[in-house]
Amino acid sequence: MTVPAHLLYSRDHEWVALEGTRARIGITDYAQEALGDVVYVQAPVVGTTVAAGDSFSEVESTKSVSDIYAPVSGTIVAVNEALGTGPDALNTDPYGKGWICEIEMSNPSDVEGLLDAVGYQALIDG
Amino acid sequence: MSTAQHSPLDAVHRQLGAKMVPFGGWEMPLSYPIGTIEEHLSCRNDSVVFDVSHLGTVRVEGAGAFQRLQLAFTNDLSKVAAGRAQYTHLLDQTDASVLDDIIVWWVDDEVFDVMPNASNTDGVRGAIGGVETTHDRAILAVQGPRAKERLATVFPDAAAVGRFRVSTLNWEGTTCVVAGTGYTGEAGVEIAVPNAAATDLWATITSAGVTPAGLGARDTLRLEAGLPLHGHELGAGITSLQAGLGWVVAWSKPEFRGRTALDAERTAGIRRQLMGIATDGRRPPRADCPVLVGDQAVGMTTSGNFSPVLGHGIALAFMPPHTEIGTEVAIDVRGSALAGRVVATPFVAKH
Repeated sequence: MTVPAHLLYSRDHEWVALEGTRARIGITDYAQEALGDVVYVQAPVVGTTVAAGDSFSEVESTKSVSDIYAPVSGTIVAVNEALGTGPDALNTDPYGKGWICEIEMSNPSDVEGLLDAVGYQALIDG
Repeated sequence: MSTAQHSPLDAVHRQLGAKMVPFGGWEMPLSYPIGTIEEHLSCRNDSVVFDVSHLGTVRVEGAGAFQRLQLAFTNDLSKVAAGRAQYTHLLDQTDASVLDDIIVWWVDDEVFDVMPNASNTDGVRGAIGGVETTHDRAILAVQGPRAKERLATVFPDAAAVGRFRVSTLNWEGTTCVVAGTGYTGEAGVEIAVPNAAATDLWATITSAGVTPAGLGARDTLRLEAGLPLHGHELGAGITSLQAGLGWVVAWSKPEFRGRTALDAERTAGIRRQLMGIATDGRRPPRADCPVLVGDQAVGMTTSGNFSPVLGHGIALAFMPPHTEIGTEVAIDVRGSALAGRVVATPFVAKH
């Protein structure tokens, strides 16, 4: 179960990669493992505003559906269109090709509520 | 609630890195590290082995055994013979609900292995008597277009068992009962092997290139094949006729449990009928979603998922009787309408 050191993490098992005020979002290796084979991602719509903690996307596996919660507030500025035909990227490359969207943050201090890799590792180790 | 039961192959599954889940009072593999979709495609393209030890086995034997089963179950055992398997239903006496769908392995003249679903074993035993032998054996289901070819390299007698045939066979000194049955829509066999030899047989079969598969793939495979799952397409309030399984009912028999109620439904006509729906796009429909024609909710899904072979959603649903194939529908999945149409089942034709 990989937990890259350079990312931030939500308690709902999303990862956040920061570039200035832009946050790229995906689900963690732990989350994809728990979900099983992902067959569909209901991507958010570019231009939508989201508040931290809102459910803004759904990921469906052969087993179940899971809500994805916005780890930070802001506006959706990019979505990973490749997931439309290749949602299995969430399983095969959760921190890379499996990214879901990018949010331009309206409140960059939201990141203070996120966990670092050590904190997230402790969370999943329970 | 008692603690979960474990298959004699439990340690093997954990060793393989299987994700274990509760199922019908058992803890069984959901999937192995290659994942449900790869396991599913292995079954459609080559071969897989499932541990289905959680299925019940009730052995009914003796001079009265045949007659007891004839009176309890809907199908007519006299249409087959010793050395054959038959799919059948046990109905509720009062309303003809399908209490369980069952495969009967007619092992020997007066020996029947009745195979209920895991959680229904006690109820079935109540209806037919017999001795539960579930905990004495494992059952390995070897399925897929290359299943028999691969099995033939390690257990040729088992590979030679034909569709819906049953044979008692010797595998390296161990007596196994092998039936040409399954739940995937593919060719294959199911092997009941005594617990002590289960791990060796599993290892031998997988060493022949057969891929382990879990309950996740078992469910997507049976759905593509249009096969019912008790608790979804069959169960309380659902009759054999509503489920489109009238062929399981032998009206020629003077008596079977639930016959009066089922006969009344046959005369009055069924109020709903199980049908297949194919949806556009990859989003999986799920169970218990309303089915709309226009803006009218006319039906309800019983199972739904993504079809790995077809690449789009599929569902089974109760619809008004005589709904035509090709009828345009929408499935309401948590507020989103998935467009689709009524299609014939199986969704995926047999190889």
